[in-house]
Amino acid sequence: MKAVKVNFRINDEPVALEVKPYETLLETLRERLDLIGGKEACGLGSCGACTVIVDGIPLRSCLVLTPEVDGASITTIEGLARNGRLHPLQESFMEKGAVQCGFCTSGMILTAKALLDRNPRPARKEVVKTISSNICRCTGYKKIVDAVLDASLKNKAYHINN
Amino acid sequence: MSDDLNIVGKRVVRSDTLAKVTGQARYTADLKFPNMLTAKVLRSPFPHARILGIDLSRALKVPGVKAAISGFDAYGVKWGVFRYTQDHAMLPTDKVRYVGEDVAAVAAVDEETALEALSLIKVDYEPLPAVFDPEEAMQEGAPQIHEAYQNNINIHVHIDVGDVDRAMAEAFLVREDTFKAAGEAYAMMEPYAVVASYANGFLELWMPNAGPHVRAKALSNLLKMPLNRVRVRHIYSGGAFGGRSEVSPGDLVASLLSIKAGRPVKLVLSREENATSTRQIHDMIATVKTGMSRDGTIVAKDYRVIYDGGAYSSTGPIATSIPFYVYEECYRFPNVRYNGYRVLTNKGIRGMYGCHGRAFLAGNESQMDLMAKELGLDPVDVRLKNGLSSGEMTATKSLITSCGLAQTIARASESTHFKEKWPKAKRGKGIGMGCIAIMCGFPMGFRSGSACYVKMNDDGQATIVTGVVDNGQGNESVVIQVASEVLGIPMEDINLINADTEATNLDPGAYSQAATFVGANAVRVACENARRKITAIAAEKLGVPAEDLDLKDRMVFSMTTPDKKMPVRWIVREAFFRGDPIAATGSYFPKIDIEREWVSRPWGQMAGTFSFGTSVAEVRIDSHTGRITVPRFTAAHDCGRPINPMAVEGQMEGSIQQAGIAAIMEGNLWDHGFLLNPDLLEYKVPLACDMPEIDTIIISSMDPEGPFGAKEGGLTIRMNAYSAIACAVTNATDALFTELPLTPDRVLTILERKKGVKK
Ligand code: FES
Ligand code: FES
Repeated sequence: MKAVKVNFRINDEPVALEVKPYETLLETLRERLDLIGGKEACGLGSCGACTVIVDGIPLRSCLVLTPEVDGASITTIEGLARNGRLHPLQESFMEKGAVQCGFCTSGMILTAKALLDRNPRPARKEVVKTISSNICRCTGYKKIVDAVLDASLKNKAYHINN
Repeated sequence: MSDDLNIVGKRVVRSDTLAKVTGQARYTADLKFPNMLTAKVLRSPFPHARILGIDLSRALKVPGVKAAISGFDAYGVKWGVFRYTQDHAMLPTDKVRYVGEDVAAVAAVDEETALEALSLIKVDYEPLPAVFDPEEAMQEGAPQIHEAYQNNINIHVHIDVGDVDRAMAEAFLVREDTFKAAGEAYAMMEPYAVVASYANGFLELWMPNAGPHVRAKALSNLLKMPLNRVRVRHIYSGGAFGGRSEVSPGDLVASLLSIKAGRPVKLVLSREENATSTRQIHDMIATVKTGMSRDGTIVAKDYRVIYDGGAYSSTGPIATSIPFYVYEECYRFPNVRYNGYRVLTNKGIRGMYGCHGRAFLAGNESQMDLMAKELGLDPVDVRLKNGLSSGEMTATKSLITSCGLAQTIARASESTHFKEKWPKAKRGKGIGMGCIAIMCGFPMGFRSGSACYVKMNDDGQATIVTGVVDNGQGNESVVIQVASEVLGIPMEDINLINADTEATNLDPGAYSQAATFVGANAVRVACENARRKITAIAAEKLGVPAEDLDLKDRMVFSMTTPDKKMPVRWIVREAFFRGDPIAATGSYFPKIDIEREWVSRPWGQMAGTFSFGTSVAEVRIDSHTGRITVPRFTAAHDCGRPINPMAVEGQMEGSIQQAGIAAIMEGNLWDHGFLLNPDLLEYKVPLACDMPEIDTIIISSMDPEGPFGAKEGGLTIRMNAYSAIACAVTNATDALFTELPLTPDRVLTILERKKGVKK
C-alpha cells in the first residue's frame, strides 16, 4: 500500500512523515515519534488512555488515522511542561495523589487540560462529567477530580503557562 | 530515635509520580531494543480439544519471520505453585482446555508479518466434550479436564473446629442461604505485555509482575535454565490487583521465541486477550449456614463453597482458602466447618483478586443482618459483639496482635448515623456495613521474608536495593519514605534499585500485603544498621555518646547539645578513609507458622499481623428499573500507622470503586466457554460519574511489628466494600439476593419475589 505524506505540528514542532494509510495516530506517535506517553489500553475508543489534544479537542488517538490530522496541531503529554516547568495540572496531579499506576494519567491530564482551556474555572460536577470519558482503574477518581480543581485554582499560573 | 517523625506519616508526593505525569515512565509495551521482533500468539478456538498435531513449517517460510514455536519446543515442564498443583505447561501439547489458550506463536520483523505467519500455522484438533459449570463438572461422568483431578476437584480445603453440629443444634436461630457470584475481570488498564531478550546464555525479561523473584523461579523451571540466568528486570506496571501475581503463558512464549531467534521479542496482548488469556477471577457458589444465640453471638458456622477454577490449578489452594480466612480473622467462631472446593472447568485461567471471595463475604454479612433483625438486634452491635480484638486467637489459631476493628466499626457507623438509618430503611433506600480482616505477609516458604542492602554514597545520599515491587500502589515510595526517615536524609536523596532479580535479594513481592509489612520492614532494618555505623563514627568525632545522636536534614546532631553536629556526608567520607564504607544489610521475616499448609495443615499463625476495616454503603434503588445508585460510601481502615496517609486514602478510594461499585455492575458473562465481554465496551467498569461521595477514615492501631507501626494500605476496603453494598441492598429490600453482582434485572427479581411473599 502506498505511503501517505503528512505534515503537522506536534508540541509546537513541525513534523513531516510518510505513514501507512491505515496507521493510527497512536501508532504514529508511539512507534515513529517515540512519544510513548499515550497508552493503548483498549484500542477501541473505550478508555481514553490514548487521548491527545488535536486543535484544542481531546481525541482518542487509537481511533484517529494519521492522514486525517494532516495540517493539525497536536499536543501530547510530553509537550505539557515548558522550559523545565511542569504544567499546573501535572503539579496538581502529583500533589493531590491523583496518580497510582499511571497508565491512565497522560490521557486524564490531557482531557482535563482541554477542559480548563475552554473553561478555566469548572465546577466539580463539570470536571466529573468531563473525565467520565476516561477510565482509571486505580484511584476511584476522587483525587483526580481534586487535582483538576486544584489546578484550576492556580488559574494565574495556568494562564501564564499557556 | 526521637518519636516525632519527619517523613513517615506525612502526605508526601509519591516518588514515582513525576515520571508518570510527564509521560516518561516506561511500561513494558513502551520498550524498544535494537533488532526487536514482534510476537503474536495463536490461540485455541475450542474449550476442550485434543491436539493431534501442530505444523509451523509454512509460517516459518514467510519472509521476515524469525521464529515460530509451540509447546513441542518447550521442555515438558508443568508449572504449579505447589508440588501437588503442577499441571500447567503454559503451552499445551496434549490438549487445549479453554478458548484463548496459547497454542503456538511467531516472532517477526513487524506485526503484519507476524499476523500473516500466524494464519499459516496448522493445528489439528479433535474436539472433546467440555464442561463449564463447576457443579456439573463435579458430577460423575462429566468430562475430565485433567487426569490427576477426579471429578475435576482440583483442591478441597477442609477445616473443622469445635463441634459444629452440636452447636448448630443448640443455637437459638439458624439460617442457611446460598449465593452465587460471577467472576470479574481485573481490567487493569495495562494489557499484559512481555519483552524477552536472550543473549549470551542469559534471559532478560520485563513484564508487569507482582513478584519478580517468584516469576523468575517459575520461568527458570519452565525453561530448565539456572535461576541466575533468568533475570526479571524492573518496569512500571499499569495495575495488578492480584492479576499479575503468577507466571503467565505469554512469559514462556516470549522467552522461547527470543531463545530461538536470538533477538529481543516483544509480545503485547490486546485488551481482549488480556481478558481471555491472562488470569480472571473465580466465579463461586457459597452456602452459608449460621447459628446464633439469642443475644446475637455467633455460635457456629458451616460452609460449603465451590469455586470455578477454570482450566488449571493456579494458586488454587490459596484461592480456595482466603475468603474463609479473611472472615475468621475478623469474627470469633467457636465452632466452624469450612469445605471449599476448587473445581476445574473449560474456562480461562484464574487467580486471586483484591476482593477475592465476594459472594462468600457479602453473603455472610447480609445474612448476619437479617438474623440480627430477626433477633431485634442492631448490625453494629452484632459486629462489635462477634468481632475479634487484640490478644485473641482466630478459629484456626492465629494470634491477633494489633486490632482496630472496633474503632473502624464505631467511626464508620457514627459518621454515617448508621444506627438511626438502618432500622428506618424503606424500599428504595438502604444502608449496609461490611467488616473484614486482612493478613499481612503469609507463609510462602523461605520467600516469606525480604532482605535489603543499603549503601551510603560519597555525597551523603543513599542507595537502597530491595526486591519490593510496585504495581501502582506506591510501594516504591513507601520504602523510600522509610529509608529517608531512618537515615535522616530527604526522599530525593534516596536512590532506589528494586524489583530486579539480578540486583536484589529475595522478597515475597506484592502478595498478601507483604510490601509494607515485610519489604519496608527489611528496608527499615538495613537502614537502621547503616545508621548505627554513622552514629558510631559521629559519636567519636563529636565526643558524645551514640545514643545521644539523631539524624535529620542530612545532619547528625546531639539531641542534648544540638550545636554539636556534622553533615552525614562527612561521616560517609570518613568511613571511606577508614576503608570501611557505610553499607549495611537488613532483613525481615514475619512471625508466622511456617509449617502451616493450605490443605494438609490449615492451622497455626497465618500472618505477621492483620489489618481491619469497615465499609458503609448507602444505596438508592429505582423500583421501576432495578437500578442501584450509591450516593455515599464511607470506609474506615485500620492500617497501623499510615506511612503516607494520602496514598492510603487513594487505595481506599480505588477499592470503593473496584470492589464497591463493582457489586452493582461488574461480572464476566459466558456462553459455553466463550467470554462474551472481554473488552471495555461490554465489560463496564465504574467511571467518575458512577462514584459516590466518599469519606475515608484512617484508624492507626500502631502495630508492634510493622515498620513504624504500619500494616497495609487499604485492602480491607477492597474486600468489604462489596459486602457493604450487598448489605445495603438487603437492608433496602429486606430480602436476600441469591446472585451477584446486583444488576438491575436481579434487583427487580428480588423486589418481585418480595412482593409475592408479602401478598
Ligand atoms: S486505547 Fe484509545 S480509547 Fe482506549
Ligand atoms: S492510575 Fe492506574 S489506571 Fe489510573
